[in-house]
Amino acid sequence: MVQINLPQNSKVQKGEYYKDKTGSKNIRKVNIYRWDPSSGKNPRIDTYEVDMDNCPSKVLDLLNKIKNEIDPSLAYRRSCAHGVCGSCAMNMDGKNGLACTKPHAEINGDINIYPLPHLKVEKDLIGDLSTLYKQYESIEPWLKTSAKVESKEILQSREDRSKLDGAYECIMCACCSTACPSYWWNGDKYLGPAVLLQAYRWIIDSRDEERKERLKKVADELKLYRCHTIMNCTNACPKGLNPAKAIASIKKMLATS
Amino acid sequence: MENKKPLSPHIQIYSWNISSLISISHRIAGVINLLIFTLICFWIGLLMLGESNYEYIKFFLQSYFGKFLILCLTWSFIFQILSEIRHLFWDFGYGFELITSKISGLFVIFGSFILTVLIYLIGKQII
Repeated sequence: MVQINLPQNSKVQKGEYYKDKTGSKNIRKVNIYRWDPSSGKNPRIDTYEVDMDNCPSKVLDLLNKIKNEIDPSLAYRRSCAHGVCGSCAMNMDGKNGLACTKPHAEINGDINIYPLPHLKVEKDLIGDLSTLYKQYESIEPWLKTSAKVESKEILQSREDRSKLDGAYECIMCACCSTACPSYWWNGDKYLGPAVLLQAYRWIIDSRDEERKERLKKVADELKLYRCHTIMNCTNACPKGLNPAKAIASIKKMLATS
Repeated sequence: MENKKPLSPHIQIYSWNISSLISISHRIAGVINLLIFTLICFWIGLLMLGESNYEYIKFFLQSYFGKFLILCLTWSFIFQILSEIRHLFWDFGYGFELITSKISGLFVIFGSFILTVLIYLIGKQII
């Protein structure tokens, strides 16, 4: 259901202000969404003044600097720092992306950092993605063949392999799904762009033998057709992939099969 | 504990882009058009009841507010048709690249205004 306003316990309040202590002249204000599960209070926005002269280029560097030098209680996920693992997906300057690949110089004015939209918050910038993982499991993302003996590799032509380009690169960071208004309102039923892109990846794999069953399973008013081509997913994808196009391809396959 | 977890902000903080703006406008224009066509049907239905009803509505539509309303409706109708054509291309699998969708979006927005002005001028018999 469409719920524009946040629930009472999610209303964001003004938080603390951390003044710069280094005396630097190159200061930027960073507003970060904070919520501490042990406090029992509403989420708040803390503001940090950060010395930009001694800060590397990406938003993740900025967060690391805040955590190391200003406020060690700040919580966020990160791992590879090279745009490969998808852990540091968050909402920066109103747009989803990976903190490790987003340069803070691209953001004008104060830097606003929120967790991925419309998720249950675990702590600070960490959202609960378990629904998305369950949906991912529901499309059975593994190769299905009738071959009894698994002694030989299954060959694939170059042409068939190239069909997977633009689908296999997905790192499941959930930037696209949590950018999608349809997924906000119907996230419990609609699969969302990330999972549908993966569904597409297995449907078009020439080695997979259950194409028809896969298509049948995904053909559902709520699971698939809640996509109204809003294109927020493609706009958000930090890997430059196109989930909107993949979803349209599934719809087209269903319409023509 | 489970229920106490807050929901992270969504539409309040997410930045708009051309595609999302057109998507929501398309829906609103659709609802308006639906209502308007129902009203027009009622208007035609009223003709069955006699001449005076026709005169009454004609008088309203010839006022400045009435004319303004007609122009707005012309726009919402054209906007929806252009946006629907864009959707048709998408359904055939074309125009999903970010730059293409941006251009087609701008085309819908500017096209709707240009066509509205054009229809106004034609109606005024200026061109």
